Amino acid sequence: MSAAIGDPATDFLVLQDVRTHFDLGRDFLTRQSKGVVKAVDGVSLTVRKGEVLGLVGESGCGKSTLSRTIMQLIRPTSGQIWLEGEELSAISDQDIRETRKNFQMIFQDPYASLNPRMTVMDTLAEAIRTRHPGLNAEEMRGRVSDLLRTVGLNPVQMKRYPHEFSGGQRQRIAIARALAPEPKLIIADEPVSALDVSIQSQILNLLKRLVREMGLTMIFISHDLSVVRYVADRIAVMYLGHIIELGSAEAVVDKPLHIYTKALMSAIPLPDPRAEKARTRIILPGDLPSPLNPPSGCVFWPRSPVEHDERLKTVPPGFAEVYPDHWAADCPFCVEKPA
Amino acid sequence: MADLASKLPLSPAPITPEQLEQGSSLWSDAWARLRKNKLALGSLFMFILIGLFCVVGPWLSPYDSQAQNLFAGAEGPSADHWFGTDTLGRDLMVRVMEGGRISLLVGLVATSVSLLIGVVYGATAGYIGGKVDAGMMRFVDLLYALPFTIFVILLMVAFGRSLWLMFVAIGCVEWLTMARIVRAGVIDLKKQEFVEAAVSLGLSNRRIILRHLIPNVLGPVIVIATLTVPAVMLLEAFLSFLGLGVQPPNASWGVLINEGQQNMEIFAWLLIFPAFFFALTLFCLNFLGDGLRDALDPKSAGD
Repeated sequence: MSAAIGDPATDFLVLQDVRTHFDLGRDFLTRQSKGVVKAVDGVSLTVRKGEVLGLVGESGCGKSTLSRTIMQLIRPTSGQIWLEGEELSAISDQDIRETRKNFQMIFQDPYASLNPRMTVMDTLAEAIRTRHPGLNAEEMRGRVSDLLRTVGLNPVQMKRYPHEFSGGQRQRIAIARALAPEPKLIIADEPVSALDVSIQSQILNLLKRLVREMGLTMIFISHDLSVVRYVADRIAVMYLGHIIELGSAEAVVDKPLHIYTKALMSAIPLPDPRAEKARTRIILPGDLPSPLNPPSGCVFWPRSPVEHDERLKTVPPGFAEVYPDHWAADCPFCVEKPA
Repeated sequence: MADLASKLPLSPAPITPEQLEQGSSLWSDAWARLRKNKLALGSLFMFILIGLFCVVGPWLSPYDSQAQNLFAGAEGPSADHWFGTDTLGRDLMVRVMEGGRISLLVGLVATSVSLLIGVVYGATAGYIGGKVDAGMMRFVDLLYALPFTIFVILLMVAFGRSLWLMFVAIGCVEWLTMARIVRAGVIDLKKQEFVEAAVSLGLSNRRIILRHLIPNVLGPVIVIATLTVPAVMLLEAFLSFLGLGVQPPNASWGVLINEGQQNMEIFAWLLIFPAFFFALTLFCLNFLGDGLRDALDPKSAGD
């Protein structure tokens, strides 16, 4: 087991060897197993209090499943998750409801994440009540106003319905709802990818400001590296249910270790046309393998330009600290070791 | 995070309720669209008029619906009896009004019963899903497979004839369709992120179903309900026609039409007047249902 895992008693959020598998069941006639999708397959991670951890990876790599597993919307198949010393993965399905207010989520699509039949006031009041059940109407109005001002909306609009707001405004409402129960942890699952580019930066700046001013801890999920680089303190790179690299945002972006991360970084377009022309892209052969039938050993070997030896095609590599606080899969073919 | 309020910038002046801008809900938008639909609005108006005619009418009429006058038997419309009299000399207008009371009551009560059972049952099955859902829906399939007439005859034989039993019998059949529609809608909604957000807040299943799921499937449900009312009234007419529903001397539109068709070659008005009101009501409800569908789901409006 790798030492990337912190101490569950003292660290803020600790994941140890978390696996989320989906059993597809058996074929109706032949009774043969249709297989198991290993969406998250052995993730160990520590999130520090007050930081923004960026989680990047291509579509289908398990980012969203991992976020929903941390949120306990999907219970992990195995492994442990601790939030401030409390083991979430051990809480029963009945008791988990009481704990949910401590971790909240901002969803991708602001058009689907707000109930169209409820006013902004009702939506936020419902969330506030999970933490403060006994507020009277006036106190509630005050809190809703404060929340709306915090996310940059005009409180006089609190009696309006979601369809009367633009996409960016709706995402602000969704952010206010996530803040309302005063959570310890916020997971933002691609919060800007459904928004217009001109709105994206406003929402990103809002999130950055909220994290700084309110001392929040956030896991920020995106497939857009330029967005993650802008908001995240540390970045974790995910590939096929595994974390293959983890380090500070500058280290991962500027000095990536894993060949997959290097390929991802080389795919970011540059604003300067000359630099853009000179950019060399690393093109990986093949597609993301199916999580139904993932490769054994180092998950990356089928797509790696460097031929792997037989051992790493069968035995999974560990996770090693290559530089201080910069971790990568312990595979000599994917990761160049410092001389 | 200790307390949110302490970390927020000091709020300027508190907002008073008068300052708030009122939003327009999807319901009020739908009402605005419905108001532009002249046919639907006219139908609604006509339906209310028929309702008033049936409910208030008998109190204003000088005749008693069950008082027989064999000397005045089966006379055509006249100044005294606007709709004429039946073979027993009873004033037809009062009988049409009182028959309307029962027909409308059956229509509305049985629809409400089916609405209540169907929505709660369908939403629960759809939200819980899995084996519970499969079990609950197989039960619905089972009831679907039961022949309706035999079911009602059994009920009537077992418990005797009564109006309330007829409500139950019709309600028991009509909720099945409602349950299926609501279940399908809920399964669709369950995947939406706002339901996930509600789960993330730690809300109870009960609250999620009542506050987040049911209000969002109510649109199609209301449309089906307006179309169920005439279906139920037809069922009642059918049962009364078979002698299983409302019994003489009480009347419903179904009973009156049955009596009328027995004598229609000689006393045509006995068929024409109840049939006219029955048909008019069915038309109104169908047009209203159509209009509501277009108003509640403008995307599906065909034109």
